[in-house]
Amino acid sequence: MIDFIDYLLGGISSGAIIALMALALVLVWRSTRVVNFAQLGQAMFTTYIALTVRELTGSWFLGLIIAMAAGLVVGVIVHFLVIRPVKRLDTSGAIIATFGVLIALEALAAMVWGGDPEAFPPPINNSGYEAFGRIWPFSPYDLLVLASVVFLVLALSVVFTRTNVGLAMRASAFNPEVARLSGVRVNRMLALGWAIAGLVGAVAGVLVAPLSTLSPTSFDIFLVFAFTAAVIGGLDSLVGAVAFGIGTGLVIALVSGYSDSSNAPLVALVLLVLNLLFKPEGVFSHHKARAV
Amino acid sequence: MLRIDALSVNYGAVEALKNVSLDVPPGRVTAVIGANGAGKSTLMRTLAGLEKPLAGRGLFNDEDITGSKPEDIVRMGIALVPEGRSTIPDLTVEENLKLGGMWRTHAQRATSLTRVYALFPVLGERRHLRADTLSGGERQQLAIGRALMTGPQALLLDEPSLGLAPLIVTQILELVEHMARDSGLAVLLVEQNAATALRVAKTGIVLNLGEIVKSGPAREIAQDEELRHAYLGY
Repeated sequence: MIDFIDYLLGGISSGAIIALMALALVLVWRSTRVVNFAQLGQAMFTTYIALTVRELTGSWFLGLIIAMAAGLVVGVIVHFLVIRPVKRLDTSGAIIATFGVLIALEALAAMVWGGDPEAFPPPINNSGYEAFGRIWPFSPYDLLVLASVVFLVLALSVVFTRTNVGLAMRASAFNPEVARLSGVRVNRMLALGWAIAGLVGAVAGVLVAPLSTLSPTSFDIFLVFAFTAAVIGGLDSLVGAVAFGIGTGLVIALVSGYSDSSNAPLVALVLLVLNLLFKPEGVFSHHKARAV
Repeated sequence: MLRIDALSVNYGAVEALKNVSLDVPPGRVTAVIGANGAGKSTLMRTLAGLEKPLAGRGLFNDEDITGSKPEDIVRMGIALVPEGRSTIPDLTVEENLKLGGMWRTHAQRATSLTRVYALFPVLGERRHLRADTLSGGERQQLAIGRALMTGPQALLLDEPSLGLAPLIVTQILELVEHMARDSGLAVLLVEQNAATALRVAKTGIVLNLGEIVKSGPAREIAQDEELRHAYLGY
């Protein structure tokens, strides 16, 4: 029993980070109906930027802020330079193009920062809290991760539900034609969706880096988990992405704890298949069915 | 106010509109009637900037609007209520309304919102409910309300009667007619339901296979037996 609790506690922060990554995928899907397989490539790239800033200034926080700004910019660049031109021709082409962006970003990162894994130490203590005479697998850093994710998700939900720009973004996602007829500049809203996704991905990248190491391909595995969470959540539901992101993190922690962490991607795949078999439209989706 | 000058539009290989010219003056309802496929919706969508014309122009207060984007045309003061009660079901009633005219000042939008709730009290009562909980007639009111939120000088209504009970259609159209008269709004109404449309309209225009076959005072058109049999099917 105590193992079970340990595994769950250990999975909370990675679950929260997967939730952010899934959220980034959903934000892009909602705005342009494209699954952005380069999302974590962008996050890897901005995390390298954070690492560089941190090495130059010694400030983790400044690194995070710069990475967030870079995430915004990279999201907009990818949208305007790659997705919009390709999507004008063919939607599935745009999805393939995101793979191209991923490969290009990984190659570029290897050229700039080298291919070897780099340490990205946590800014605060990452050893577990002590209580009731034992050490629990939940550290001050985990708490920082959790607090950051909660803050970001709350901030996003305020933007989406309480502001004009959030309303315009939601309307552009649900019905671009009605939004345009109401006077919303829909193309800007789509670009903004990519920008915010880039920012959210950048935060996820900086937060996840201390849990392993940073290399051009070290985030690839998280794409599997985030994609699983986003799809099960319904791909266009922000709530679904967060709920199933955390859920996926916990399941992975249990699988890794009771068997071996190398089984985690397999379990994610099984979850994805089960979802597509029994509830292909996703749990929180607005739409009735989705072709698979 | 709104003038359409020799407009031709192709829909793929089909000539949807052929050399259509008409005037939409302020303060009254102008009705374009015709059977399904006459080109009525194409006319509306082209005016709103959703379709590109092959030839001809749309003029609004003597300004050429041809080729402008929908989001710019609505900002100039032409609002389209598209066919099929185009509300967004996932948003609340008030969110659907607030979507209209976001570029306007806070005060202008507040005034418009009060006015829309006064015109359609049921929307005020349901303002926090999701739009998909509304009945068909309420959703049509919501769609018109959203167009009014943009502060239009010209209102384009595409087939508002579709799927609604006749009594509700009459109520909504009479409201629109009053509004046009009171506030100088230019209303272009496109309808298959010719009898109802001609009752509120001042001018009637009969469209058949993309061409205007007759235009004149609405009352005369309504009484023209031959026209009715040939093009309007009642």
